[in-house]
Amino acid sequence: MFGPLGHKLIAHISIGGFPISFDLMTIIMSWIVIALLVILAFILRKSLRQDIDDKPNRVQALLDALIDLIKSQLTSSFSSDQLAQDLFPFIATLFMFILLSNWISVIPLLESPTKDLNVTFSFGLLVFFMSQYFAIKRKGFGKYMKGFIEPYPLMLPLNIVGEIAKPLSHSFRLFGNMFGGAIMLSIIYSFTFLSVGFPLIVTAFYGLFEGMIQAFVFSILAVAYINVAVES
Amino acid sequence: MLQEAQNVVSQISGADIANAAKYIGAGICMGIGAIGSGIGEGITAAHTVDAMARQPEMEGALLRTMVLGQAIAESTGIYSLLIAIVLLFVI
Repeated sequence: MFGPLGHKLIAHISIGGFPISFDLMTIIMSWIVIALLVILAFILRKSLRQDIDDKPNRVQALLDALIDLIKSQLTSSFSSDQLAQDLFPFIATLFMFILLSNWISVIPLLESPTKDLNVTFSFGLLVFFMSQYFAIKRKGFGKYMKGFIEPYPLMLPLNIVGEIAKPLSHSFRLFGNMFGGAIMLSIIYSFTFLSVGFPLIVTAFYGLFEGMIQAFVFSILAVAYINVAVES
Repeated sequence: MLQEAQNVVSQISGADIANAAKYIGAGICMGIGAIGSGIGEGITAAHTVDAMARQPEMEGALLRTMVLGQAIAESTGIYSLLIAIVLLFVI
């Protein structure tokens, strides 16, 4: 396979007889995205040191727009204000990490870490554990277990399967969209007559637009799952 | 003539049939899976256009909800894409 799928940086390590393989490209790109977010945070923070009565400069206005977007679209769907306040950093970090890692594939020679199922499945599991933790914390352990046999005791296997299917569909949606985009780009690069100009359009659509939509959908579904688990 | 046909048939191995079945299976999987997601997203867009014509001031909220609904309706199409990829490149 050519282009975005052509790398072969896989490290094979065997721990006590079990062969484990690490995809080095994913790990390196994840660290690059984390470093970019941290550096961006430090750089933008310097422009925020002004009086509250001044006219906001451009960086302040940009950050205000970003925080307002996250607050009004994503965390406003929480059922209680206390939960929205507690979980705002988590949802905002999730959204910005997935957004930046979807967008970083536009730069040539770099690939998005969310193209790997390991990354997206970890995020799905993270949201799953967060929702169960907040459900137990809010409702108490007894009421949480009783929620599984809620309409009829016969619904117990269906409820358990429903709970397990949520992180699966959550992670596979993001993985499928990003991986499908990478495959489409590699197929386009393998046609020589389409290699000039056409990948730009495809990258602009699949990389930027689709990446933003998938990051938004992931975050808003994370909010919805936590919401459903918390309210009884 | 019959002897030549029997020669050709005796050279087909199980691995050849499995390869051919892989490609046919991947094609059928993605082909049928794309029907549902295309129809579903088109119906969503149609209802959004109706609602926008009825209430033009709600365009922003309607557009956002439509995009969100279409991204979720696309999931099953993505699942069949994954199965087609697994059939082509992994097995």
